[in-house]
Amino acid sequence: MTDRILTTLMTEHPTDSHTLSRYEAAGGYTALRSALTMKPEEIVEQVKASNLKGRGGAGFPTGVKWGFLAPGAERYLVVNADESEPGTFKDRQLLERDPHQVLEGVLISAFALDVHRVFVYVRGEYPRPARRMQAAIDEARGAGLVGDDVAGSGYAIEVSVHLGAGAYICGEETALLNSLEGRRGEPRIKPPFPAVAGLYALPTIVNNVETLANVPWIVTNGGSAYDAIGPEGSRGTRMFSLSGHIERPGNYELVMGMSWRDLIYDVGGGVRDGRDLKAWIPGGASAPWFVPALHLDTPVTDDDVGRLGSMLGSGAVVVMDETTNVVAAALSIVKFFAHESCGQCTPCREGTTWMEQILERILHGAGRPSDLDLLLDISDNISPGLRWPPAMTTICPLGPSAVSPITSIMRHFRGEVEEMVMAGATHV
Amino acid sequence: MSERITITVDGKELEVDPGTLLIQAAQDHGTYIPRFCWHPRMNPVGMCRMCLVEVEGPRGPMLTTSCTAVCTEGMVVDTRSDTVKKAQEGVLEFLLVNHPLDCPVCDRGGECPLQDQTLSHGPGESRFVEEKRHFEKPIAISDLVLLDRERCILCARCTRFSDEISGDPLIEFLDRGTYTQINTFPDEPFASYFSGNTVQLCPVGALTATPYRFRARPWDLEAVESTCTSCSVGCRVSVQASHNEVLRLLGVDVEATNHGWLCDRGRFGFEYLRSPGRLSAPLVRNADGELVESTWAEALDAAAAGLRRVIDGSGPAAIAGIGGARSTNEEAYAFATLLRDTIGTPHLDAAVGEAPDPLLLTGAANRGIIGDLETARTVLVWGPDLKEDLPVLYLRVRRAATELGATLIVAHPAPTGLDHCADHVLRYRPGDGAGMLARLTGGDDELASVRDALAEGPVVAIVGRTGMTEDPGLANAVAAFAAGLPDARVLPVAHRGNLFGAIDMGMSPVTGPGRVALDAASRGRDTTGILEALDSGEIGALVLLGADPAADHPSSAMARAAVDKASFLVSFDLFVTESNRGADVIFPVDAFAEVEGTVTNLEGRVQKVNRLVPGVGQSRPAVEAIADLASRLGGSIPGTAAAIADRIRETVPGYDEVSWTTLGWGPGRDGVVVSASSPAPDGSVDGSAPDGMALHLGRVLYGDGTMIAAGPSLAKLVPAPTARLHPEDAERLGVADGGSVTVTGDGGEAELPVTIDPGLLPGTVAVPANLGLSFGASPAVSVEAVS
Amino acid sequence: MSAWSDETMERAQSLVASYPDPRSAVMPLLYLAMREEGGPLTDDGMRIVADLIGYTPVQVQAVASFYTMYKRHVGRHLVSVCTSISCHLLGAGEVLAAAADEVGVPVGGTAEDGSVTVEGVECIGACGGAVAVQVDYEFVEGVTPEAARSLCRWLVDESPETVRSDDMQERFGGATAFDWGSEDPTDAVGPMPAFGPYGTAGGA
Ligand SMILES: Cc1cc2nc3c(=O)[nH]c(=O)nc-3n(C[C@H](O)[C@H](O)[C@H](O)COP(=O)(O)O)c2cc1C
Ligand code: SF4
Ligand code: FES
Repeated sequence: MTDRILTTLMTEHPTDSHTLSRYEAAGGYTALRSALTMKPEEIVEQVKASNLKGRGGAGFPTGVKWGFLAPGAERYLVVNADESEPGTFKDRQLLERDPHQVLEGVLISAFALDVHRVFVYVRGEYPRPARRMQAAIDEARGAGLVGDDVAGSGYAIEVSVHLGAGAYICGEETALLNSLEGRRGEPRIKPPFPAVAGLYALPTIVNNVETLANVPWIVTNGGSAYDAIGPEGSRGTRMFSLSGHIERPGNYELVMGMSWRDLIYDVGGGVRDGRDLKAWIPGGASAPWFVPALHLDTPVTDDDVGRLGSMLGSGAVVVMDETTNVVAAALSIVKFFAHESCGQCTPCREGTTWMEQILERILHGAGRPSDLDLLLDISDNISPGLRWPPAMTTICPLGPSAVSPITSIMRHFRGEVEEMVMAGATHV
Repeated sequence: MSERITITVDGKELEVDPGTLLIQAAQDHGTYIPRFCWHPRMNPVGMCRMCLVEVEGPRGPMLTTSCTAVCTEGMVVDTRSDTVKKAQEGVLEFLLVNHPLDCPVCDRGGECPLQDQTLSHGPGESRFVEEKRHFEKPIAISDLVLLDRERCILCARCTRFSDEISGDPLIEFLDRGTYTQINTFPDEPFASYFSGNTVQLCPVGALTATPYRFRARPWDLEAVESTCTSCSVGCRVSVQASHNEVLRLLGVDVEATNHGWLCDRGRFGFEYLRSPGRLSAPLVRNADGELVESTWAEALDAAAAGLRRVIDGSGPAAIAGIGGARSTNEEAYAFATLLRDTIGTPHLDAAVGEAPDPLLLTGAANRGIIGDLETARTVLVWGPDLKEDLPVLYLRVRRAATELGATLIVAHPAPTGLDHCADHVLRYRPGDGAGMLARLTGGDDELASVRDALAEGPVVAIVGRTGMTEDPGLANAVAAFAAGLPDARVLPVAHRGNLFGAIDMGMSPVTGPGRVALDAASRGRDTTGILEALDSGEIGALVLLGADPAADHPSSAMARAAVDKASFLVSFDLFVTESNRGADVIFPVDAFAEVEGTVTNLEGRVQKVNRLVPGVGQSRPAVEAIADLASRLGGSIPGTAAAIADRIRETVPGYDEVSWTTLGWGPGRDGVVVSASSPAPDGSVDGSAPDGMALHLGRVLYGDGTMIAAGPSLAKLVPAPTARLHPEDAERLGVADGGSVTVTGDGGEAELPVTIDPGLLPGTVAVPANLGLSFGASPAVSVEAVS
Repeated sequence: MSAWSDETMERAQSLVASYPDPRSAVMPLLYLAMREEGGPLTDDGMRIVADLIGYTPVQVQAVASFYTMYKRHVGRHLVSVCTSISCHLLGAGEVLAAAADEVGVPVGGTAEDGSVTVEGVECIGACGGAVAVQVDYEFVEGVTPEAARSLCRWLVDESPETVRSDDMQERFGGATAFDWGSEDPTDAVGPMPAFGPYGTAGGA
């Protein structure tokens, strides 16, 4: 069984994995060449069969999404490299260390989707990944792999890198499209979905960097080979970004299905300095937190995590040790969402800031006993019922994401919050 | 129209048209869903989140904004569930957390949707104990509009209006998240001709208009629906007054004309009504040659005696009358009757040398209505710059081009407000319109794509004079050409508020009441002819009804001299003007919002104007004054507008369906379109641009007319005139942007600062027509640099 | 309105031409505008961008002000300390305070001599290398409060023309989020991302 798809080259050739020569030496672009001999539909079928799910956070089956792409002479593929979910740094590594793998995935996908124009939207704070991606495109163009006649097949493709400028919300696919169109990066109302009316209102597929990086392997090895990796519903390998109070932070490409205990203690080396584990975020700042008493021995799969009221999201695991002030931690996350709210929706714009102000007050010893229920009720007005997956009074899930840390600390650490309110003092 | 579909709202089955937005469908059936950002005339954005309802979906009920949800067959909706109520209350509370709640000092207090919905849907006690967001307040974002960002709820109505509807995106959302604010660019004010609409659209008191600010509380206002008479589009308005003073106009949404919008001139132009310069008593010239206040009886006697002397001395044809284009139909009818029947002169005109041929206005073939723009494939605008001249018609054309996908062709000697959304712009030198038309009809290869577009019907052609130096025959020719295009509808246009109505009432030298063309023998002189005859002494006396040829005629210098030569001059007016300052008798008459009556817009649509406030001092309705004068001259004209309205219905062809009762207001009452027609005018034209520089004289929205000058809000918006020149001409003349030139025409000259405009053709000089300059009506001018 | 150099204008036009719709070029053009003005985004810069793509200036400002990286006020170098959750847990607060203190400015402030701006930012994608810092958007990871001081001291005292990630990491950084592999020799020329096609990178 394969347990590494994406990180082989960069592990084996740390100094030059980003170059065309190294990539080709390791068999790179053979998948593209064989894809070009296939019918586009066949490639889509392989991706469907692989049961690859999107790695951008929403986890939507990639092949199914591709199947929704509306017909049209002009269509686009947009690569979401806006990676900004706190805790996440995997796309950065894929772009910096193996950009040709991403590019090959992009080219195959574009060919499969009958697309001739691709934009890679890289967050503004990632100039180095953008440079590496651009260099890869330039090299590939020099080698005839990008341009009017890809590898002599007659297929024409243009790939451009577009830099963001500091806005997490532009990772949301419709906000990204607005941003790319030169507008404010505000999410659009769906439907219509991008596959029907996306960039410039034309049919568009938006995929995450990591998602597309899997495509060459799937073409080479077949969709069913990919579908044979990992447990049902969570096929393939996946990049996990470990951070926070963990002994060995970093990106790990793993087959899903292990327990959280294995992931945190075996892969990540446990909590730093041998401290006790207090909580962890299983899938980026948007995800409700897990705690050892309830979740440590549950499996790391999309379905299990979802059933337990959270998500694997962007694959970012943030570990908090026993010393963590959960109010301060929740504040950090709520502040993030308040700062990143685009501001269109009343509940998100006003609610996130209000929750931030209340948490700030509690942290600084000016909490009121009524604040706890108030926080929950504000949360409820952003995400009615506080269910999972979340209901929303907003256009996009950013508002409801800001609710996750609130419900998490209220559910698991209410006593601690109450104590802080009562003591009227800071425990930073 | 496709089959109706059925949806269920709160347990009730409703039949709706497919494609209807849920919020609209519910409202049409009596269920009002609260909302802030949604507006039926703009694309939904679903931002405020107030209109959330639950729509049944595969995974149970889902909260959905009803302003963005399109009705689909079988849709099941709950607008009142506990979840919906809680969500709506939540949204309101969120809106209020940063709202200053300064309702007692807010212009919107008492008519504020936020206030109202807080009372009906909102939470009670505030749970928000934090510091509210602060902004400097209010800031002036233009000469007319103030912005209070603390009150703003970020509904995007103002930004959408100025981007989508009026096409001048000068206000925008800036920053993001909780810091999001509406603002303008530094040093780039919200100088839109339509800015007042954003004030009306604002669901809170964030945008306020300086003319109305702090003037009244909504509950003190009396209101009446009426028709704006600022130009001939005839927008529906609600006129609102307090203590007998008109304080504001709001647009009322009617499908036929304005869709609820107004231009700022129409909206804020009412200030002249209570201007200190307004005439409040009759004025009669005394033995010392001074105009002095007198009684009505004395003034009427003096006027009658003076006119009688002229009739007796030189015959009735020595008297001429100009006016009616700023009056109601009833006033114009009375005036035409006074002139033609009581006095017996054929010399009468409602236009002042600036309008198209009256036979075009009354007799264009295949005449259309504004609403035809909704279904047009191709729109040809070959007439005035609509944005400057007929602003709300500009909005309707813009909508056709940008929202409805029509192909827009604009032909004009200078850049126009529509160029930005035009698919084809045909530019020619002033005087060369006939040549351009010949190229278009004659198969010039360069214009092939324009011809292709014109071959796609339905075609709507908006035709008028592009400017005052243009031969009126060109518009006739363009209209004749356009009438032959596939599924053509031709809309002849002219600027002044009730010019069409006045002509219909007979205030025209070539047509009698009801667009009946007169035979050659009965025809009289038009205004230019009248002025020439005054100058030569053939005509001795002049009667003016709200007309100011000495200011408005293209050869205003000539007009002024001619009017000064009148041996006897009677004027019915609101002000002392360039034209009547030498009058023998001036009667102060009631104005807009002071009289009841009808007006006829450029479509021939007759609409009602209503009375809300009294006139000033001793002013009287013009119909009464005209009737009194007529009776002193032995004539008989009914003395009330209502009685004249009956007479019009009985006697004026085409107006037999028009009565004040049929024009009563209410939804769906879009007035009555009169369909009578004179024969179309001759459609042949020739002529070419002059050899040297050719002058274009186009109107600007804020001219220096008496009524604008009398209102403080608009008076400050009147621009200083400039001469626009193509860069090549400027270079040849050796002038830079800001330098000076003298423009000399056969009717006057002026020294003007230069603006470089690469949008002109070389050999063109463009000068505003209505800023008090006089060059004459010929395009041939000389332009010289002033060192 | 000040004009851009011919070379910049040419670059601007080619950026506009590189998109199916000119308005899509607004973001790269804003970076170009910053480079042209030597750092901060100016009203004139936005006016020129507006002209290039058929926006009104306020439409450009609406876009520019939506993002955090088009700064109106910024020093020659921009020190951005991540304060989001992973860095927060590992002491971002102290690192940020140390940096600001060393430069002698409040957080968000710019040194009087215009050398350095210190800001706290949301997640920059180096969570495994907490506490993460960027100088002119080039990473330095595993930064301690002391290292942050030295880094700022260096920027203030030496006012380097350009900065390079690998150099700074070697001098001031600690553990990285992942193995960076081989060096990237690109010079960052100021408080905007160094990206060749936008004309905002130097060297290499
Ligand atoms: C607030 C928000 C932020 C997001 N940020 C990212 C991001 O940074 N990167 C990403 O790939 N997807 C992000 N997404 C998910 C995208 O909307 C989209 O689902 C994804 O790019 C689709 O690609 P995939 O199917 O390959 O995952 C975000 C979604 C939301 C709601
Ligand atoms: S939920 Fe927040 S971020 Fe998402 S569209 Fe609404 S305001 Fe913007
Ligand atoms: S009215 Fe529907 S969201 Fe504002």
